[in-house]
Amino acid sequence: MRPRSPNIQNYRPQLTSVLSIANRFTAVISTVAIVAFVAWLVAAAVGPQSYDSMHAAAASPVGRALLVVATFAFFLHLCGSVRHLFWDAVAGFELRTIYASGWAALAASVALTAGAWLIGFWVRS
Amino acid sequence: MTIRSSSQVSRWKLPRRFPVPKRFGVSKDSRIEQGRHWPAPTGAKRIKTFQIYRYDPESGRNPRLDTYEVDLDDCGPMVLDALIWIKSKVDSTLTFRRSCREGVCGSCAMTIDGTNWLACTRFVSQTAGTASIYPLANFPVIKDLVPDQAHALAQYALIEPWLKTSEPPPQQERLQSVADRKRLDGYYECILCFCCTSGCPSHWWNGERFLGPAVLLQAWRWLTDSRDDAKGERLDALEDPFRLYRCHTILNCTRTCPKGLNPGKAIAEIKRMMLERTL
Amino acid sequence: MSAAPGPAPSGSARARGLGSARRGTGAWRAERVTAIALVPLTLWLVASLVALGRADRTAFVAWLGRPLHGFLTILLLIAVFRHTALGLQVIIEDYVHSAAKTPLLLLIHLLCFAICVAGVLATLGIMFAS
Repeated sequence: MRPRSPNIQNYRPQLTSVLSIANRFTAVISTVAIVAFVAWLVAAAVGPQSYDSMHAAAASPVGRALLVVATFAFFLHLCGSVRHLFWDAVAGFELRTIYASGWAALAASVALTAGAWLIGFWVRS
Repeated sequence: MTIRSSSQVSRWKLPRRFPVPKRFGVSKDSRIEQGRHWPAPTGAKRIKTFQIYRYDPESGRNPRLDTYEVDLDDCGPMVLDALIWIKSKVDSTLTFRRSCREGVCGSCAMTIDGTNWLACTRFVSQTAGTASIYPLANFPVIKDLVPDQAHALAQYALIEPWLKTSEPPPQQERLQSVADRKRLDGYYECILCFCCTSGCPSHWWNGERFLGPAVLLQAWRWLTDSRDDAKGERLDALEDPFRLYRCHTILNCTRTCPKGLNPGKAIAEIKRMMLERTL
Repeated sequence: MSAAPGPAPSGSARARGLGSARRGTGAWRAERVTAIALVPLTLWLVASLVALGRADRTAFVAWLGRPLHGFLTILLLIAVFRHTALGLQVIIEDYVHSAAKTPLLLLIHLLCFAICVAGVLATLGIMFAS
């Protein structure tokens, strides 16, 4: 059997492949988040006790940390997906644009996550 | 914009490899062992170190990584020149493909510092301190830096890369407007080096059935040719969850094309044409 | 086990495989259509949840009980689970090549459908109880 030359073991990570796999990771995290949201809805429908226990879990430090991770993952997936939708419309394929839009998507998701959490804290006060 | 060196694209350095175990998914036969060290000739002032993948099919041993020290004052500026220097002055068993030495034949495509490019158009000065040279990623290796491209070429034959018309051949040349001829620009120039296909993670995981960017770019070249009659047949052959739709617009292909072509865009055009015929 | 024999030795037969399935555009399109619908819907949901903040059950039920909110939530649930099922199918097709692929795909589609129905029923329950 001929050996196979290395692929992921040796090939250099690039913005293209890194953002692409990030889009996939964040898709899976967002799936977990939406299933948790359905659990939240079901808990609310079932009654105050189940809702309150879910609420307490979400308000705990671990729950809060997971929520931050989930919101960042969701916004990264959203911005990455918008970038994908442009590509599906055959727009933005020049290499300069691919790189610029990549960094823009990353920056936008950080900004949106920070914005959402800051507004959340402001609403509470 | 053609990437001429990795420093051109971004000042932010990503890690050199994905954080997977070094032996991740590597079969026993493919494991790379430590190889020989070949020192520079005495008196050499400007020395550059190359780590080169070696494999001898007749030895029965695993591939290995040999380290060569090259005298840059004695050899040409390109990575291919360094390889030829090594072969002629140090180790004549080093085997690689090469032909035109000017970036038009596609023979010397290899993975240099973890990115696919043509050895003859990559300056040694643009490589890392210790440059690493591997055969084109994810291909079976015949010997040293020579990949077995039989399956990729069979996939190319699959898309029937020739003109298909239902009418009898005309008395003169088949006429094409300037605008129609422009539609081939950026696609006919492909030299089939397979740098793009080799760098596509989807082709790594599904290369058996996914056609890959090089083949799909050529498929688009024929789909967009106004003289070709068989668009329906070509689209039928491509419309498959694996042949075409394993492409997730990762865009490593466009990033790595040494001719500055855009396979990612070609594939998006194919998908758009696919969509058009359903609406 | 797949019904076809193993990979053919010959280059041409190996590349041709079982031929083109002549489908795939439908799933690709559905994933994009649901994505386009989900951009405003998910932004609305995140904005609403941020505004709700630490709402207790009464406040949450009052918010969801309003017809518009219930309607948008149900639209979002249907779109998101269609999108998720299609996306997870692509992920499994990419990485799973063994006999586990088909049952795994079946499980994913059934689970997405079931969780979607659970969410829709919960929403309707809240809407009509309040």
